[in-house]
Amino acid sequence: MTQVVLELHLHQPWRLGRFRYLDLGSGRSYFDHARNLEIFRTVADRSYRPTLDRLLGLLDESDEFRFSLSVTGTFLEQARDAAPDVVERLRALVGTGRVGLVAETYYHSLAFLLPPPELREEVELHRELLRQTFHRDPRTLRMTELAYSDSLARFAEARGFRAMLAEGWPAILHGNSPTYRYCAVTAPTLTLLMRHFPLSDDIAFRFSARDWSEYPLTSEKFAQWLASTPGDFIGLFMDFETFGEHQPAESGILEFLTHLPDAVRTHPGLSWATVDEAAQGPPRDTVASPTVVTWADEQRDLGAWLGNDLQKSAFEAAQKVGRLVRLTEDPDLWTDWRRLLTSDHFYYMYVGNNASDRRVHQYFSNYPNPFDAYANYMNALTDLRRRALAATGAPA
Amino acid sequence: MARATSLKKPPEAPPRLPPVSSGPLNIVMIGWEFPPDHSGGLGVHSYEMVRELAQLGHKVTFLLPDSRPHWEVPGVDFRAPGDARDRALAPEVQPLRAYVSPETGTITNLSEVADFYNAWIASRTDLGRVDVVHVHDWFGTVGGAALARREHAAFVVTIHSTEYDRSLDHPWTEILRREEHGIAQADRIIAVSRHLRAQLILRYGAPPDRVRVVYNAVRPADSTPPPDHRPPTVIYIGRLAAMKGIDTFLKAAARVAPSFPEVQFVVGGEGPELPHLLHLAASLGIADRVMFLGRVSEAERTYLLSHASVFVLPSVVEPFGIAALEAMAAGTPTIVSKTSGVAEISANLFRVDFWDVEEFANRIAELLLYPALSKTLGDQGREDAVREGWRERAEETVTVYREAIRDRRLT
Repeated sequence: MTQVVLELHLHQPWRLGRFRYLDLGSGRSYFDHARNLEIFRTVADRSYRPTLDRLLGLLDESDEFRFSLSVTGTFLEQARDAAPDVVERLRALVGTGRVGLVAETYYHSLAFLLPPPELREEVELHRELLRQTFHRDPRTLRMTELAYSDSLARFAEARGFRAMLAEGWPAILHGNSPTYRYCAVTAPTLTLLMRHFPLSDDIAFRFSARDWSEYPLTSEKFAQWLASTPGDFIGLFMDFETFGEHQPAESGILEFLTHLPDAVRTHPGLSWATVDEAAQGPPRDTVASPTVVTWADEQRDLGAWLGNDLQKSAFEAAQKVGRLVRLTEDPDLWTDWRRLLTSDHFYYMYVGNNASDRRVHQYFSNYPNPFDAYANYMNALTDLRRRALAATGAPA
Repeated sequence: MARATSLKKPPEAPPRLPPVSSGPLNIVMIGWEFPPDHSGGLGVHSYEMVRELAQLGHKVTFLLPDSRPHWEVPGVDFRAPGDARDRALAPEVQPLRAYVSPETGTITNLSEVADFYNAWIASRTDLGRVDVVHVHDWFGTVGGAALARREHAAFVVTIHSTEYDRSLDHPWTEILRREEHGIAQADRIIAVSRHLRAQLILRYGAPPDRVRVVYNAVRPADSTPPPDHRPPTVIYIGRLAAMKGIDTFLKAAARVAPSFPEVQFVVGGEGPELPHLLHLAASLGIADRVMFLGRVSEAERTYLLSHASVFVLPSVVEPFGIAALEAMAAGTPTIVSKTSGVAEISANLFRVDFWDVEEFANRIAELLLYPALSKTLGDQGREDAVREGWRERAEETVTVYREAIRDRRLT
């Protein structure tokens, strides 16, 4: 029996408003609250509500259907302000007992690249948020943008997680299939669940591509592909916004999702499972990944966030400001800083030569180009640095 | 994100045309300014274009309004009223210098000069076979059109800027009339940007199917590698004309100057706005922070553009903005006004509304403050600026010539 493990990731960053050099010291908020909520409402209309409703319907119709969700802290903050009914829908889903929850950093941040204790604190913040919102304590961890490495595996094990998600990237699997359970060389009790990126991306990236040889993709065809893929499980991990936002409703993506459980049912070798269920069972082999592997871009490394000088210098500057912020006890400074650590800000600063990667980065960006993204971010960070210095009583 | 492309309507079949020779052309180009004696993009464009055209094997005769010293170009025959060949035939022809005021360096009676130059152009019978007559801007349009008609040659006009632009919408009829004549008579019109092309269609009624865009360029081989060290300078270089929006540059400088005490602001070039700009700098309290260089030589210009920390081109109207492209080719981070033609060929520069003093100030400050930003913007801009050169532009121009010749033969 091969388990189909659908894991959908819900995230919205706190995007910055235009914060200009001349705004330094003005006391203006870095984040454009109204604009963020407006974007959230738009995506809620296009994706969250219709997709959540369909998922709830599918759980009603079939006892076998199950899947998992990861929901970031910044997403829930915005949902509470912009569309509380989306939170209610999520609670209803989790309440069925057939929807798994996955922990990560509250801010969907690059905290995993910072010295401790930042990562531990952000994961704890997120756990606490999930406890309060859903009364659940997740046993599976995923890192921002599916980042994975030996040391992150060790971290997950030490924090009591049973499983962790990772990109099923050939460079770390060395010819092994991503459809079996593995464990990290550094964390023998932690089960690794790999994303099957070709099958995941058939939905997330290629679904509406008319120049794709498999276009149009039907639920039946996809279920057939799943059935002919051997293994313990098939990890279909993707953005929740795939349904209705990245792939618009006109593409038929919601109908595809709606018919998928029926199509899977026609194959006796397939069943559905949450991440926690899929993690039960012995690992087949160990996996070593001394460097960080992610699910982004062609290279699957950190290049999407820290690939160029803009990104590196912005992250270094953020780290330095973080040391100052940690010397203060001002919760506003901490929140602003952590919101600035959200990976999306660095993603917008991508300057690369891979045209297809550049298109994807630009699709997600609210800036006309990476230079605007960088200048704006650095202005906000410079302002935060001044505030932190003032709060510590140090001369500016 | 994979996105399906929309299906376009199939293009209409082009009309059947007689074949046009692909061999070398006899080109008569009618100029106005020419290096080293030039003040704008037109002079540079003329020089680079004839140089490449000659190297591509075409025979170029370049007409100039007077026989001031100019850079020689191998394979290009320069002619001017009152030059040695003229003197042998018609010793009474006056050189243009007679019309230049010794005090201001500007021409005193422009329309008289233009009439004289055009009459001289139209009466050239010693040019041999002519395939194309190519005029830059308005100065030689009347004579050029007449010459082309008489020689049964194609007539091409390149517009570098319009009289509306230069006069900030208060055109002088005398010039406008000559511009309109050139555009109406031309078999093909070349605009140096899409923005300018749209203007020619809207304001001059140029038929869209006759207007082509050929951008300016820089010579990649000549552009020096970016310097290791840039003194903290923010510069403008160009004519000091109202359309250049240098007021905005000074006001933006005044906003950021106090926070950057080590930074020198530089205005290079000469022009009618100088007295006004000097007063403005004084009244903004930054007279000691802005250096007005006056006339800059080619070598100084190259050095300044390539060694500045930031180049600013805040023009109210800028059909192209070749100085920005030269700065970018040297890896200098560049800020231009949104309407600048140069912004059409690169996204790797900052674009600001020409009136937005605060935004110019912000961008200047950000480039001074964040080295990673100025380095990356400079590097990416350099790649765009040197990707194509004058050779490509000359080839595009020859394509336009051949279209013009083909159309001329149809009529």
